[in-house]
Amino acid sequence: MAEQYAIEMRGITKTFGSVVANKDVELNVRPGEILALLGENGSGKTTLMNMLSGIYAPDSGEIRVNGQPVTIASPQDAKRLGIGMVHQHFKLVDVFSAADNIWMGKEKAGFLLKKNRYDEIEAMAKKFGFDLDPRKKVHNMAVSEKQTLEIIKVLYYGAKVIILDEPTAVLTVQEIQKLFGVLRRMKADGHSVIIITHKLNEVLDISDRVAILRKGEYVGTVNTAETNEQQLTEYMVGRKVDLNIERPVVEKTRPLLEIRDLTIKNDEGAVAIDHVNFYIRGGEILGVAGIAGCGQKELCEAIAGLRPIEQGQMIHKGDNIVGLSPKAILDKGISMSFIPEDRLGMGLAPSLSITDNMLLKNYQDAKGPFVDRKQGRADAEHVIQELGVVTPSAETPVRRLSGGNVQKVLLGREIKAGPNVIITAYPVRGLDINSSYAIYNILNQQKKDGVGVLFVGEDLDVMMALCDKIMVLCHGKVMGVVHAHKTTKEELGLMMTGSLDLTNKYEDKPAGFAKDTNFAPENQGDGKGET
Amino acid sequence: MEMDKLGVLTTFVHNIVVYNIPLLYGTTGEILVEKSGSLNLGVEGIMAVGAIFGYILGCYANSLGAGILVAFLAGALCGLLFAVLTVSLQANQNITGLTLTTFGLGLYFFVGSGVKAVSWPAMNDYANIKNGFADVAIPGLSQIPLIGQGLFSHNLLVYLGVVIALVMWFYLSRTRYGLRLRSVGENPGAADSVGINVKRYKYLHICVGCGIMGIGGYYMALNMSGSFNSSCWINGYGWIAVALVIFANWNPALAILGTFVFGFFNTLRVSGSSLAAAFPGGLGWLAAVPTQLYQALPFIITAIVLVVTSVRKREGSGQPQALGLNYFREER
Amino acid sequence: MRFHVVKRDHCPLWKLLGLYVLAVAVALVLGGLLLLAMGVNPIAYYGRMFTMGMVGNKIAYKSFENYLKVFVPLALTSVALSLAFKMRFWNIGGEGQFILGAVAAATVAFKAGPVLPEPLTLVLMCLAGMLAAGLYGAFVAALKVRFGTNETLMTLMLNYVALYFITFLGETKAPWNFYLDDTSARPIFTSFASLASFPKIPIGKFGLNICVILTLLIGVLVYVYLKYSKQGYEIAVVGDSVGTARYAGMKVNRIVLRTVFLSACLIGLAAAFKVGTAGILATTITDDVGWTGVIVAWLSQLNTGAIFVVSALISMLQYGSTTAASTFSQVDSSFADMLQGAILFLVLAADFYTRFRIVPVKKGGNDNGNG
Repeated sequence: MAEQYAIEMRGITKTFGSVVANKDVELNVRPGEILALLGENGSGKTTLMNMLSGIYAPDSGEIRVNGQPVTIASPQDAKRLGIGMVHQHFKLVDVFSAADNIWMGKEKAGFLLKKNRYDEIEAMAKKFGFDLDPRKKVHNMAVSEKQTLEIIKVLYYGAKVIILDEPTAVLTVQEIQKLFGVLRRMKADGHSVIIITHKLNEVLDISDRVAILRKGEYVGTVNTAETNEQQLTEYMVGRKVDLNIERPVVEKTRPLLEIRDLTIKNDEGAVAIDHVNFYIRGGEILGVAGIAGCGQKELCEAIAGLRPIEQGQMIHKGDNIVGLSPKAILDKGISMSFIPEDRLGMGLAPSLSITDNMLLKNYQDAKGPFVDRKQGRADAEHVIQELGVVTPSAETPVRRLSGGNVQKVLLGREIKAGPNVIITAYPVRGLDINSSYAIYNILNQQKKDGVGVLFVGEDLDVMMALCDKIMVLCHGKVMGVVHAHKTTKEELGLMMTGSLDLTNKYEDKPAGFAKDTNFAPENQGDGKGET
Repeated sequence: MEMDKLGVLTTFVHNIVVYNIPLLYGTTGEILVEKSGSLNLGVEGIMAVGAIFGYILGCYANSLGAGILVAFLAGALCGLLFAVLTVSLQANQNITGLTLTTFGLGLYFFVGSGVKAVSWPAMNDYANIKNGFADVAIPGLSQIPLIGQGLFSHNLLVYLGVVIALVMWFYLSRTRYGLRLRSVGENPGAADSVGINVKRYKYLHICVGCGIMGIGGYYMALNMSGSFNSSCWINGYGWIAVALVIFANWNPALAILGTFVFGFFNTLRVSGSSLAAAFPGGLGWLAAVPTQLYQALPFIITAIVLVVTSVRKREGSGQPQALGLNYFREER
Repeated sequence: MRFHVVKRDHCPLWKLLGLYVLAVAVALVLGGLLLLAMGVNPIAYYGRMFTMGMVGNKIAYKSFENYLKVFVPLALTSVALSLAFKMRFWNIGGEGQFILGAVAAATVAFKAGPVLPEPLTLVLMCLAGMLAAGLYGAFVAALKVRFGTNETLMTLMLNYVALYFITFLGETKAPWNFYLDDTSARPIFTSFASLASFPKIPIGKFGLNICVILTLLIGVLVYVYLKYSKQGYEIAVVGDSVGTARYAGMKVNRIVLRTVFLSACLIGLAAAFKVGTAGILATTITDDVGWTGVIVAWLSQLNTGAIFVVSALISMLQYGSTTAASTFSQVDSSFADMLQGAILFLVLAADFYTRFRIVPVKKGGNDNGNG
């Protein structure tokens, strides 16, 4: 008799149009274990789990729950089978209270909504060991509160198998530890937990076994105790990673872009960037590290002129750029490309062709009232050739390209414009290793050409190999700028979480101020007092 | 000539209710539909369909109840069509709603006057319907001076409309099914993920909501004594109902009040001159106001409400967040 | 066997057209069955309808002229709406914009007609119509960019404000009201056809109204504008992704205002064409083109060429049914509305199959009571 699994997935295949998201995937989950589902972005982890939770239906394959073959055609089926999922983008009704978000899915809830539902939910949350204000509306909650609510929700519905999709991406270190405590408790109660992540340290910390996906295909499952980071990485990316990213030594120029005492607010009106000072020279890559949502996006937007600043100065080659229109900033040669999570939100018009997307920033340059498609087509062909973009033609809508090719198109266009400062956020998000290297090479080439690069990244290993210096942000504050070849992951990690502040490491000069600054002398004094 | 001033006022209040209750039906019906996340611009057409079928079949059966039932079913069938197209077949809601209005009005005129071989019955010949539509005074309340006769002595459909609105308010805000319906309209993805059958909720509430609109249409037929002429019975009430939904902030109980406010202007249009004649001192100026201003006022007020709520952002707005958006589970 | 629905990346053109033709055919068959039930030969009826009574008619050219009078406002309004829709601005206020345009054009005709030469009057009528309608549309766009006011509901409300405005003009006897006929005791609009009327180019007996040529010309211009001009490019980008447009340095608010103004302007022009041809105002001056135009633009998937084809067909349906009604007295012209509705419903249903595929689930475990 074979081992009794809580969940078995056999030969699961799922395609979206021409894109194969999962191909012949196998997965087993034991009762009472924490299984990490590991894979790079875009390796099909979420798709696979969405088939367990009934959001997607597999094209082919079999799912068994407790040994019984089942069909999960809807989230309702999944719930009935005791499978609950905490989605990365929370599925909560903003205008409802915490209690109502849970209550709406309760099976035998009675006809009337009674006041005592608040007490019942609160008591239940206590039972699972959570603090929850059942009357608090979701739109007033912090991210971690929303996540807690989601977890309570699936527990309340009696889930025996709990899936968490990238639960740590939005949390602080303390919150992550708290979450892991919760997961261990759930495991002790006999729940099976599947946690989707691409962070190795977390995998090793929390899981019993690790299942690995690569490009939609199943690689294998290993016991966490018998593996290590090196091996997991190898499984994940397919070959031994030797992060031998080239770091050419280039003569640096005077600062191209200098930021002084910059404060920016986010969409909700909270301070996103808090009195930040830094500068970028030509011929260097300055990395920006930090936990997701600690002000990277707002910083990029502010430099590109897309977001008003509260306070501070931004000087490009000695000229003030605060208050300039995005167009004027572009004309100065400052290029910004930001790859958001959906990859298409900023920088590209998904329904338009590659040609049309090439024109995005320079369509105004053509003489007369018409756009110069000939130029656009030539640029498109050039980028397709140069960066090896896989596409049927230059007239194909960008939406129909795969992620890596979309990013090549975006970056290709930016470089084509010949900028002197490149701000790029998450340029390798979701890319396979070869595409990533292609991107690194592009950036290095730019650096050699004397361009200043601000690289907002996620993967510390990559940043340590690629960048010259790394600036670490924590909740909008700079924790210090370190030399990439001298620092360690541990040091960066401590800085990212705010436990280490190196801003005052060098006493001879204020942090983030260049010695050969382009700031006029009279401006010098202003900044000094602030630091 | 000495006017009975009190009588004029009472008649005025009475008329507000009598002539505008169809708005309440249209509005509550549309609220139910919109709370499921569907913006249905076919109210006008659906009310027309309910009116014509309720009228004809009600007369044949010589029963008010049968008329109401048929009007409801006819409206619900229109709703079913809307639901099939927008929920199952993912068609654009605005386009489908506008088409439903074209189709419904076409059907109304076609059945009403297009079939030349048949002449439709005169409603006044049917005693059961006539009597069923007669005013019924509520004992006690109708004795209150001034407003008693105006507010509490009406036909059964007026009471039914108010009851539907109150029951719907209770249903939406105080029951589990109402909670689930709201979750579908706010965030269908969230509703789906906790196992609520989004399609079923949408279908059911679109059909019932449209059925209620159908009754509203039938009421208009009854009010006009069911004599068919070339101008439509519905005459824009469906569109006012769409406006009233916004004015009432998607709250069926507030819709009762809203009906009264909109109805007030509507009635001033008709009886403004009699008020002016009865109170030449205070209200004489009413005679000078163009009637079209009263007709436009509901739309002007709603436009102002729209602007004010958008200035204040979503704070306290009852508008479902996913209104007008189709839900497709596998959307990536 | 279970089925499930998946999105299509792309639908080949022949399939799209085939599905639409099929939808129209099914609607016609359903309508035909209804006609049969009424004792009317559907083939004879449809024949009459689609030839618009021109076959065997000595004054067929007159029919065609009248047909074009239906076609021009609808085609131009639909083209105008497609501009706004391309930017995902749901202007369903065509009715109101048309009415204001018509009133403005008529005002110029009454006031300038007696003093200015006719061609100049006509040009001024067009400009006045465009300005009035354009501002009415731009008002909503301004609210949208400033406060995020829902443009669908807002334009809907303004339709009725405009409708009751023209009703007011049409029903109010007063010394100032020059729109009405002085000689009539009842309030009725008076004609200004003798003051200003768009000229016709005679082609044999047939008179080709200059508005037809202008409408076709504008169609070509709009096509070129959307496809090749910088502003058209901006519209496409804003419609696709506002974030990207901002990022590219586009002044999104200005583009929205400009485009909606232009869209409404063209609707005002359609109204000027209409009153300049009819020579009189009417409370029903729009003939519902504001509503029908929304549907036409949508069904044509905002393709300018397709808009002309679809509006030609819809006009044929509407005008043809009135001519058919004169032969087949037992069929009311409301039959056309129903038929139009049925066609649209079926086309909307067919549209589903152009955007989605239904595939059987190959091997989905055994159904053992779940699902």
